[in-house]
Parts: sequence; structure tokens; C-alpha cells
Amino acid sequence: MIKEKNTKLHNSVFQILPWVIPAVFMLVWIIVSETGLIPTYLLPHPVEIGKAGYTYIFRNPGDAPFAGRFLNDAGASLMRVGSGFAFAVIFGLPLGVISGRLALVRKLVSTTINALRAVPGISWLPLAMIWFGIGIKTTVFLVALAAFFPVYLNAAAGAKQVNPLLLQAGAMMGVNRLRGTFAILLPGAMPQIRTGLRLGLGISWAYLVLGELTGVPNGLGAVIMDARMLGRIDIIVVGIIIIAVMGRAGDQLLKTSLKFCFKSARRMP
Amino acid sequence: MKPNSAAIFKARPGIRKALLEINHLKKVFHINGSSLNVLDGIDFSVNKGEMICILGRSGCGKSTLLKMLAGFLSFSSGEILLNGKPVENPGPDRCVVFQEDTLFPWLTVEENIAFGLRGRTRDKKAFDEEVERFLSLVGLGEFRNYLPREISGGMKQRVALARVLILKPEVLLMDEPFASLDALSREEMQNLLLSLWETLSHTIIFVTHDVTEAVTLADRILVMAKDPGRIHEDLRVDLPRPRQKEKSDFLFFSRKLYKGLRE
Repeated sequence: MIKEKNTKLHNSVFQILPWVIPAVFMLVWIIVSETGLIPTYLLPHPVEIGKAGYTYIFRNPGDAPFAGRFLNDAGASLMRVGSGFAFAVIFGLPLGVISGRLALVRKLVSTTINALRAVPGISWLPLAMIWFGIGIKTTVFLVALAAFFPVYLNAAAGAKQVNPLLLQAGAMMGVNRLRGTFAILLPGAMPQIRTGLRLGLGISWAYLVLGELTGVPNGLGAVIMDARMLGRIDIIVVGIIIIAVMGRAGDQLLKTSLKFCFKSARRMP
Repeated sequence: MKPNSAAIFKARPGIRKALLEINHLKKVFHINGSSLNVLDGIDFSVNKGEMICILGRSGCGKSTLLKMLAGFLSFSSGEILLNGKPVENPGPDRCVVFQEDTLFPWLTVEENIAFGLRGRTRDKKAFDEEVERFLSLVGLGEFRNYLPREISGGMKQRVALARVLILKPEVLLMDEPFASLDALSREEMQNLLLSLWETLSHTIIFVTHDVTEAVTLADRILVMAKDPGRIHEDLRVDLPRPRQKEKSDFLFFSRKLYKGLRE
């Protein structure tokens, strides 16, 4: 017999589960640092990282190297990720949905897009620097380019596989094309669209750092690059952790706002 | 005293034009250079308020015929006239209840039923009342906030029925809608359909391969034969309702239809 789940226990286990791997990771880190298994010039002690993080985030600028740069850097990086990702969605989502539904458009664009997709983002870097110079434009360009492909491809696949019977049902109930698109097609494609957006936002962070490695004065990628030059491995780790946390928070924010805005995202099985 | 027009129609049914006319309808599929006659000259007409079953074995083209009536599929020649006007595209005057589950999975029972009505009326109160009325007509008031994946197959088909009946279609097209239900649910749905038909007096074309279902429901049964698909028999069923499957006149019709199907 299948036992009924103890939902209370089940829920509390689910609350804890996401933190298990980070906790184990921290524990191992502390052990190898305390015992000297890994020398601190390769991986600083967690306490050092904590101090560096505190300095970077909370202390006043000028007190120490990197002190108080956090707000400025995070703001700049968020701005770049946000606008790059926004461009990717503005172009990728409609184009993806249209080419998922119309064979004519799909034939027209898919070869080109798949060829461009094969080019690693990093190869655009030199060209982007020549076109846009060093700074926000290059970064936004790289982020937008990289995020475009997952957004486009998933929207196209999602729109293509929407159950044709749902669209027929709409047609026989007298639903016009415009309403059919927004009330049937997009909700029907929502699971894949959501996947595409999440992948796109994730890759945006990767290309953000790439774009910021080129010598911009601020941003999380720039901090990591500066720290590398100064040999401040603690600040590098702080930068990595901050990007990880912001990336995870961004993903959560994306999921939550989709759920808030769309029934089809809220009621996905 | 001036005779009213309804009385004239009653006295002389001959003048009354059929609601739906199907004339010399043909469908040829072309596959790899060879052509296949799926439907070879279908002729029949349907009067307002009639409940017609199209009965046939798999592959006789009965679903193809229904898809053409719905406007989902083009035909090779012939014509389909609804109130004298040719049928070309799908539209809410010819609603379909499909065999498959075609409810919108992201909408609740209530929202699915309201879907087609949205935008048709500005009167919020009348809209809500109408949705309420059809929710209770199919007996799903308590399940209004459930999602399709949370209810049974029979309940899904009730929603599918309510969401089109609410649009007051001229003709209701049903494509083996109860075929995937268990025997008891099927019987329940047949009874529900009959009682809705009596209250709302729709015109219904019901495709099925089930002889008992056809005799239970229909005023008139069109038996189709295959290779090429055509109407083999047009049988009027003048049994009183509710019909009992064990009675000899019911069995008489069943036997006759089985014989027709085998030929």
C-alpha cells in the first residue's frame, strides 16, 4: 500500500533541502581551511571571505581597497543585464512565436539564426569593442546576443507544439486571430517560453562578466578583473558568490513575476 | 382572424427550408500521386431541432464529414449550406464537441465555460448569470474552480458541452464525444445530452460508431458505408423517449442497423 504523505514533514524537508548542498560545501571549505589541506593563497578561509565581503559591501569608500563599491557595481551590472536581457526578449520572443507558427518565416530565418547561434559569444567581443567601444554598450550587446538564442528557440518550439485542437476549439468558438494569439497560443506555449526566459536570463549573467572583463570601471565582472590584477583572491570569491546569489534571486524573481502576471504560468502542472 | 405564420409552417411543412443542406459533397485525398475517394457524393438535409446520428465504422469518413461541416477541412466539390449560406470557415454558429480533451488546461471549469462568451456582451451581470446558468445545467457548480486536470473525463466532456452550448450555436457537432468514457459515464452523458436538448432544443449532429448510442439518442440515423464513404441508409427512429435498451422495438432498430453496417 502506498502511504499517504505526511505533508507537514514533507514541507519542512522541502524547506531545508535547497540549503543542504551549500551547507555541506561550507563545512568542507571550513575543514580544508582549518586543517591547512588547501593553502590560503589558493582558497582563503571563509572568515577572510566574510571580512572581504563586509568591507566590499558595507564599509565606506576610501577606507580600504574595494570598500563600499558594492552598490555601485551591482547597480551597474543589473542595469547591463536588465537591458541586454530586455533586448533579447523584445526581439527573441515575438520572432520565436511567429516562426514557430508560420513555416514561411521559419524557413526564412532559421538557417541564419542557427548559423549565428554556433558562433561562441566570446568571438563577438573584439568586434563589439570596435563597434561600441569599452563600456555599457558592448556589454549590453553581448548579453542581448547571448540571451536571444535560448529565448527565440524555446519560444519557437513552444509555439510550434501547441495542441492544434486547442486552436481549432478557439476558432469554432469564434475567437479571432489576435485573441487566439494572446488567449490560446501564448498560454499554450508558456512552459517552453518560461524555460527560454530562464535560460536566457541565466546566460545573461555569464556574458555580463565577459563584457565587463574588458576594462570598464564598475560592475561585478570589473571587480573580479581588478581583484585578479591586485592578487586579491578573497575579493574574486566574494564577486563569484555575489553573482551566484544575484543570479539565483533573478531567476526566482522571473519565475515569481511570470506567475503573478499569467494564469498559464501560475497553473502549470 | 389572421392566421399566424407558425401555423402555416405547421400545416404545410413542405415550405419550410432545411437549416442545414449538404449537396453532392465529395472529398478526395491525394497521397503520393494516387487519389482516394473519402467521401463520394454526400446528400442530406437537417431540420431545425433535429437530433441526427451519423453512424459508421472506422474509416468510413464520418469524422471527415463532421470536420467539413465544422469548417476545419476543405472539400473537393459540392456545397454545405447553413440557412442558405455556404459554410467556409469555423464559426460559433457550428460548435464542436471533440472526442479528445480540448479544454484550456490553464483555465478553471468556470473560465473554460465563459471563454467563448467573453467579449460578446458588455453587460457584466448578464454575462455572469449566463455562465452560472450553464455551470448548473451541466451540474458543475461545485467544481467551478477546478482545473481540467483535476476532474474526471466525464466532467471534462460536460465542460466541453457547456462551453459551446453557452454560445447558442445553430448546429451542435459532436465527434464521438463519449467514446473514451466508461459505460456508466457514457450513459449519464447521453441522458444529460438528451435533457439539455429538450430544454434548449438545439440541432445536433452526433457522430458515433456505437449502434446502441445511436438508437438511444437519434431522431434520425444516417448509416455510412465505406470505400468510398457514402450514406447507405437514412433511418427515422420514432421510438418514444426515454428509450429502453431491452425493449423489442429498440432491439429491432439495433439489429437493422448492425445489418446495415455489415453490408
